[in-house]
Amino acid sequence: MDEFKPQIIAFTCNWCTYAAADLAGTSRIHYPPNVRIVRVMCSSMVNPMYVFKAFESGADGVLIAGCHLVDCHYIDGPVKCDTMFARLKKMLHTLGLEDERLRHEMISASEGVIFAQVIREMVEQLKKLGPSPFKIRREALV
Amino acid sequence: MEVLSPYKEATEAIVEAGGEPLKLCYQCGICTGTCPWNLVRGFIVRRIIHEAQLGITDFGSEEVWLCATCRACVQRCPRGVEIIDVMRAVRRAVVSLGIGIVPDALRISAKNIAGAGNPLGEAPERRGDWARDLGVKKFSPGTEILYFPCCIPAYDPDVKRVSQATATVFNKLGVDFGILGTEERCCGEAIRKAGYEDTFHSLAESNINTFNRNEVKTIVVSSPHCYHTFKNEYPELGGEFQVIHIAQYLAQLIDQGRLKFSKEINKRVIYSDSCYLGRHNGVYDEPRKVLQSIPGLELIEFPDSREDALCCGGGGGRIWMETVKGERFSDIRVEQALEKGAGIIALTCPYCFLNYRDSVLTMDKSEIIQVKDISELVAEAM
Amino acid sequence: MEETRIGVYICHCGLNIAGTVDVEEVTNYAATLPSVVVSRDYRYMCSDPGQDLIKNDIKELKLNRVVVASCSPRMHEPTFRKACQDGGLNPYLYEHANIREHCSWVHDDKKVATEKAKDLVRAAIKRVYYHQPLEVKEVPVNPKVLVVGGGIAGMQAALDIANGGHQVYLVEREPSIGGHMIQLDRTFPTLDCSECILTPKMADVGHHPFIELLAYSEVEEVSGSIGQFKVKVKKKARHIDESKCVGCGICEEKCPWKVPSEFEMGLGKRAVVYIPFAQAIPNLATVDVDHCVYIQSNGKKCGACIKFCEAKAITPETLLNQTDQIIEVEVGSIIVATGYDQFDPSVIPQYGYGRYDNVLTGLHFERMTCAAGPTGGKVVLKDGREPENVAIIHCVGSRDQNYHEYCSRVCCMYGLKYAHLIKELTDADVYEFYIDMRCFGEGYEEFYKRLSEEGVNFIRGKVAKVTDVAISDEEKGKLIVVAEDTLLGKLIRVPADMVILCAALEARADADKVASLFTLNRRADGFFLERHVKLDPVATPTDGVFICGCCEGPRDIPDTVAQAEATAAKALSLISKGKITLEAAIANVDETKCLGCGRCEEICTFHAPKVISKNGVMVSELNETLCKGCGACAVVCPTGAMLIRHFTQEEILAQVSALTEV
Repeated sequence: MDEFKPQIIAFTCNWCTYAAADLAGTSRIHYPPNVRIVRVMCSSMVNPMYVFKAFESGADGVLIAGCHLVDCHYIDGPVKCDTMFARLKKMLHTLGLEDERLRHEMISASEGVIFAQVIREMVEQLKKLGPSPFKIRREALV
Repeated sequence: MEVLSPYKEATEAIVEAGGEPLKLCYQCGICTGTCPWNLVRGFIVRRIIHEAQLGITDFGSEEVWLCATCRACVQRCPRGVEIIDVMRAVRRAVVSLGIGIVPDALRISAKNIAGAGNPLGEAPERRGDWARDLGVKKFSPGTEILYFPCCIPAYDPDVKRVSQATATVFNKLGVDFGILGTEERCCGEAIRKAGYEDTFHSLAESNINTFNRNEVKTIVVSSPHCYHTFKNEYPELGGEFQVIHIAQYLAQLIDQGRLKFSKEINKRVIYSDSCYLGRHNGVYDEPRKVLQSIPGLELIEFPDSREDALCCGGGGGRIWMETVKGERFSDIRVEQALEKGAGIIALTCPYCFLNYRDSVLTMDKSEIIQVKDISELVAEAM
Repeated sequence: MEETRIGVYICHCGLNIAGTVDVEEVTNYAATLPSVVVSRDYRYMCSDPGQDLIKNDIKELKLNRVVVASCSPRMHEPTFRKACQDGGLNPYLYEHANIREHCSWVHDDKKVATEKAKDLVRAAIKRVYYHQPLEVKEVPVNPKVLVVGGGIAGMQAALDIANGGHQVYLVEREPSIGGHMIQLDRTFPTLDCSECILTPKMADVGHHPFIELLAYSEVEEVSGSIGQFKVKVKKKARHIDESKCVGCGICEEKCPWKVPSEFEMGLGKRAVVYIPFAQAIPNLATVDVDHCVYIQSNGKKCGACIKFCEAKAITPETLLNQTDQIIEVEVGSIIVATGYDQFDPSVIPQYGYGRYDNVLTGLHFERMTCAAGPTGGKVVLKDGREPENVAIIHCVGSRDQNYHEYCSRVCCMYGLKYAHLIKELTDADVYEFYIDMRCFGEGYEEFYKRLSEEGVNFIRGKVAKVTDVAISDEEKGKLIVVAEDTLLGKLIRVPADMVILCAALEARADADKVASLFTLNRRADGFFLERHVKLDPVATPTDGVFICGCCEGPRDIPDTVAQAEATAAKALSLISKGKITLEAAIANVDETKCLGCGRCEEICTFHAPKVISKNGVMVSELNETLCKGCGACAVVCPTGAMLIRHFTQEEILAQVSALTEV
């Protein structure tokens, strides 16, 4: 059997975490290739629907990452994101998804190293958890 | 002039033995200026690191064995170099690869530890003898606390006072505790720092198995060295226990109102921070709190205390090696205590205890100053 | 409906991408996807021939959507949008895939990287399908500029803009402009007197017809965006009548109450009503409310200044009833030049600062050598004696991960300057303890050589401690500086009467507040982050807000001035263009779906949506100039009436599901 390669969708804010991922690139900080980044303008733009969609279509983990509270380009986006995230987490929990599959991080534009670290950690964690229950169910039905 | 060439293989051997942090060093020398050895003799810590960076380490030099792992330099290092790890790695290279010379005294202690489970070469079956007349029970599953006395308070005829005082205090307070006696082996902290990695692993595994078999959850220790390795090194090997140093435990008992004093100790007492309780683990306040709670006791401080406290010279395996007169840090410490007019030097570490005791004896000052563990003082004041 | 015709372009970026990603494979793969009309690869898409490919294909192949996979969109999205526009396509019908920073540069397995690149390209193609043309709106730029901070950086920027004929508001929180530079005695390496070169500039600022100086003031609130900021400035009460005060100083002379002078670093004293230094601009007295006996006793005690002020600028009324004023200004751009704080060495216990009288910081020493300073320019110990030996310790709080990891850049040079001044003013021997000498600027290395000639002793080693515990007779009564001389490999103890700590420059203690006021980002070291470290060093992520000087990191005066001039050029180029284009990717309300519930209004930080009654129906209306496009409103909208253009749900959902397809 092939080794399980978890798929991660990362919603990153344009100003901080997307730039942090750029910095990781510019600094050639390698991290596992399991992540696909979706650029949003602000972490507060992430609709819970996007996260559901990601899990529904086969992601094993989702990262929502934006600025630190003081850095936000839109002043208080991370606060709004936090509120949304708390609700989302509960909903996913009810649906039987492990808490560790959804992660919220604040990674500033200068923290390329931290971005890479978070991805490494998530991949490790997801490898331990195995494929998403959504994915397993879907594959069983198909 | 001697011409040197970098020798990559030697650097690699040291890095492989855990000396990775040496790469970060930018050679500022603050370690040398901070190292207590330079109070008594030259010891250029920075140069050791640089030699290791270039692979030109003199494995035969006695400097390999000097570091007492007191952590004063690490605490100040601007690049965060774990200098102790580098020193340990150099020693490991000597011990495991057989390059260079292991000092005789250390070799004997290492052999004793590996064989008998204690550095003194005493019989393992006599490890619990110190407690014989005190009515101490053997630890069994369900007992709340395992008291682990450390090899020296278990065997040394003089330092037994420490373990016995602890047991006495516990008995008086009705603490539910037990000992494992013959089943214990040396914690392995110091022999690991001396470069004997394999010995450490076998000791640690043996102890972890013993603790797990007896369903140990909480361990109270007398030695900061046991404390350090149980708390910070055993978890790497799968041993997860709650570890409490006796000074912390006594402070807790005072907080809970369980420990009360009925006698006064009308003495001027100076407390000497142990490196492994203080700098290594950040425990500074609890021992002071215990001493200050004793009625009549006047607590005074050394000129350098807490983070800056001078080492006794006993860490990193130095306790088993000969330190010539004139180079003993504990001699300096005793002089400082005398200058401050202290009548008692209060300690929280058996290694400190041995060194200070020897200093007081060789300096012929036992008439005017005493060396006591914090547990002894507590027992006396109850 | 028009048929969707997508052109896909995969960039090699030399070997930057092609070295790790099989570009040809990705190109061929893209060609197989629905609606893709053409898929090409090219060595450098950002080059003119690369862009021409896009322009020609739009015309010849009638493309109506374009995808480029190359570097980060933060780098070249504008380039390719422009190419689309030049080719006759609305620039918002473009989508970018980042296969360099997010792919080829962070992976090394070619197969894996190629697969990831395919995923990213596929997602971009699926997303571009839903893009809609957007109209870009322009707004005029207010030609006035706000400069925050009246140190050398802020003054220089203000003067450059004002000399160009544009209005500047210069806000300074202290009673006078001048900043740290006016505290300095002489400047390295030329040794010209700081006051002599700075005061003419300060006077220019004070008199300039186009500079409105708001000293003793602080910015309270900033709203709006590039081209049209609205700023509230709090002008703090000086408790004197500014229109009447002539700066004669009689109040200061007569005031019986003295406190340590901030300007003199506590080495001297000032009165409670004071002018901080002789050349202060504006030359006005300020009352220190906390220490004023008249104010604290509510007019019952003292009042000496009132009696003696001939100009009648100080009255019971000004002292007891004057309050802070809020001034509102409108500007098109903002320059932040808020400077630095000196690192407080008392947190390094082993250096004895705060414990030993004769351990000083750099700024203390600057005041000491200044002829107008508290010692009249004499280098003296606390007891008035001249020192026989002085030790200068470099890298105090810098190059040290226990405090600040960065190099503070100016300390080597100012340390050398102190050595020179000590040699000039006293007979003392000087010992410089350094780790590395960093003398990189014009005339700097030459200055280092000059100091060697002057007989300064250089010791390479980071000082381990400064102590007063002597171990020999010659050490008695002195401070002893202990370090390893790393070149000798020996421990060295240098007895010194005076120890000067070259303390690092660090971010202002309130940099976090300033950052959130102007929506700036901060680096891990606390300083403000530039938009691009190399190619956009004075811009910030917030359009229209620029930074210069030490608020961005430690730097010397020449670099600060150059940067200040750069910010002025940025502001002037905005003014001369006269207009800016607004973000087109902002919210949009579908009134037919809107229920007028007001959740969008509730969550919006910028007050862009507002529920109004339209023909008796409650609907949300969007003020497009206020909307920044963050998207929070769309998330809370229960009916999906609110969406963010260019980031609509269908666009993002298409991208997400494309990314997880296998």
